Amino acid sequence: MDGLFNNLGFGLEALEHLDALFGYAMALTRDLTEAEDLVQETYLRATSASHHPDGDSNLKGWLFVIMRNAWLNQVRHRNNGPRFVEFETGEQAVDETQDNPHVIYLRKLEREQVREAIESLPDAYREIVVLRDIEGFTYQEIATVLDCPAGTVMSRLGRARGKLRKLLSGWQTRAHIRAV
Amino acid sequence: MRNCDDIRGRLTLYLDNELQGDERATVEAHLSECESCAAVFTRELNFLNTIRESGPLHVASPELRSRVEQILRIEPAHAPRSRFTWLVAVAAGLLVLLLPVLVWRLVRHNEPAPVTQACPFALMAVDTHLRHMRGQLPLETESANPREISDWFVNKVNFSVKLPNYQESSGQEKLYTLEGARLVFYEKQYAAYVAYRMKERPISLVITSDSTAKPSGGEEISSKGLKFHYNAIDGLKVITWSDRGLTYALVSDLEERGQQSCIVCHEGTKDQDFIEPLKPH
Repeated sequence: MDGLFNNLGFGLEALEHLDALFGYAMALTRDLTEAEDLVQETYLRATSASHHPDGDSNLKGWLFVIMRNAWLNQVRHRNNGPRFVEFETGEQAVDETQDNPHVIYLRKLEREQVREAIESLPDAYREIVVLRDIEGFTYQEIATVLDCPAGTVMSRLGRARGKLRKLLSGWQTRAHIRAV
Repeated sequence: MRNCDDIRGRLTLYLDNELQGDERATVEAHLSECESCAAVFTRELNFLNTIRESGPLHVASPELRSRVEQILRIEPAHAPRSRFTWLVAVAAGLLVLLLPVLVWRLVRHNEPAPVTQACPFALMAVDTHLRHMRGQLPLETESANPREISDWFVNKVNFSVKLPNYQESSGQEKLYTLEGARLVFYEKQYAAYVAYRMKERPISLVITSDSTAKPSGGEEISSKGLKFHYNAIDGLKVITWSDRGLTYALVSDLEERGQQSCIVCHEGTKDQDFIEPLKPH
């Protein structure tokens, strides 16, 4: 009975990371269908594992490691490699009938610019920005997911942010938005 | 004092919370004394916040969530992969259909009421609380004045945020402090996040419109015509409810059901009978 409750508890905790895993899957595959398949494959592998990690942060990192390994496995068995398609932001229209539509427009524009810039990064850079700045993993946790030294994480993250900075040359609009 | 090149070389580590102890203190001390490095720091912080606040980049569709929920419920541990996987899935499905009934019958006499899974908004509120505690969601505005915080949300969220100031009006001892606020992303639009602290223990209040989030699941408690949903998630106490067009989630690690956290809005003695039903009986 304890095992049953543990499995149910694991399921609920694992489900909390669904959006994060889906975001990472989109970063890896750039394809909605492939990303959804990868998420399901990740959860299938996780539920089949003989040991589940303790603690929420361990669980999230563990799921990301499973996802990355599943993705690498798929790429290895594919002749034509990963496909690259246009990124959809999926953002729904917000209520723009509010008092200050100009501010809303600028904020939305800014978010879209940042998202587009992240999506346009080379694969390795996009992946590390998603892991650090969107998902909030530490350098060591990223090193575990990517299976590389923490020093590599630091240097790759630095280059990725440098590239982002160039792409977002107009990002200072933020200061303007906040000042409005 | 460390030289500026040395400090600037560590700014990224500092901003990523990768420095601890003396190293962190050294950077902070330098930034408090060096205007030039402080300006670089502010620029970097704004840049990183801009990137971080662009997330989440994607949200799983309800269909995917449903399929994953099915996987997590029906896939038994150590499931063998074979051509008969579908048979295993059907058997596991039947097992899942029957097991809750069996479990319910076994544990029913120990539980006064069925407790269902927390709603996504409650889970998001807990995640937001934890991320804020870890320093991953810094406050965008800091103030102990409820009116200033309420004003800050104007034109940032598509609903009206009006934080009460019961302490000021009651003249009672300050039992909690308002720390500040920020925006958080939920269901593809901004929700309001407000941070409080009571006796050094953090309390988070997340607000969105009731068309965006409907409280559900957990233990239902009725009080003063409102229906509260209580959940314990990751050691935290979460109370969610809807009232006058808004949905709220209150997160804390306070005792029992965390009902003490309600005093951020209901401190007056007249509200005691409002909070009382939330206490475990």
